[in-house]
Amino acid sequence: MRRSRFKLKAQNSTFALNITSMTDMFTIMLVFLLQTYSTSDMQVIPEKDINLPVSNIEITPPKTMSVSLSRKELKLDGRTIASLDDGDFSKLDIDSHDMNFIKPLFNELSKLEKAETTVGAKEGNILMQADSSLSYQVIRKVMYTASMAGFPKLKMATVAGE
Amino acid sequence: MRRRGFKLNNHLSQEFELDLAPLLAVMVKLVPVLLVSSAFVQVMMIETDLPQVVKEAIQKEEKKPSASVQLDINGKSGIRVIVEKAGNQNIEVIGLKADGSFNYGQLQQKLVEIKIQNPEVFRVELNPEGNIPYKEIVKIMDEARKARDKNTHFPVYDSKAGKEVETDYMFPDVVFVNVMEG
Repeated sequence: MRRSRFKLKAQNSTFALNITSMTDMFTIMLVFLLQTYSTSDMQVIPEKDINLPVSNIEITPPKTMSVSLSRKELKLDGRTIASLDDGDFSKLDIDSHDMNFIKPLFNELSKLEKAETTVGAKEGNILMQADSSLSYQVIRKVMYTASMAGFPKLKMATVAGE
Repeated sequence: MRRRGFKLNNHLSQEFELDLAPLLAVMVKLVPVLLVSSAFVQVMMIETDLPQVVKEAIQKEEKKPSASVQLDINGKSGIRVIVEKAGNQNIEVIGLKADGSFNYGQLQQKLVEIKIQNPEVFRVELNPEGNIPYKEIVKIMDEARKARDKNTHFPVYDSKAGKEVETDYMFPDVVFVNVMEG
């Protein structure tokens, strides 16, 4: 009796795993990932709190520094340089004589414009990631200050779509 | 003898199990590599880098502007389309829809009409009010850039080939005229 029990256990210890369905799943995943695979020279990672506007343009961004503008803060290459209050710049960051001039942004961009290592500085290129809900008057302040600091070719980052 | 031969053939055509383990091993390695390098959200950008023929035409037009197209964007009244040609100014207003949104279909129709009349013009000047949301400006730029109807084409003179070619670009060169205003 004991012996027969042992035999039964030994039979159940190994079994053939059916991997056909798993291979099917991986094939579907592979096709999907190959479709979304990106070969562009610059991968732009959208900021967490920014909803980029949707556009039908098909041009990928070049290697250049980026300004990101959310409803809460203004960042230059990931560093926070100014804060926004309810979707507009605080009065402390704006020049008292010029309502479109963002002082901290101008100071930072002027430094980068002089530095020889800055990517896109010679061409005056700068990429702007701005939240789609922001009003034009806020965007305009960034455009104005960037062009004053020597970056007149502002490129607007968008999400591909219709 | 015959019977034996038949049996042999029958045995050979029997089903066999394909070994999927090596294929699976390759996929398990490929999937993480592709997952890391995939761009699930494709970020694009709006700029003025265009096909060479259109670019040349823009440069030619910049030197000697024949006409100017301006869009005044107002949140209450809609989009005012101003076309200035040979000293004459033509103004047309594209009103808002009943729900208060911009009428993009009518805007596109009007811009196609202007482009057919002025195929040498590639620049559009935007003059939005301060309270216009950024996403609406991007949509207006999309409408001005290309004709939505894929069968609509506009003639462009290719100086290298010495002949007229067709493009679906309308006004890809966007300029914000009020950026430097105080």
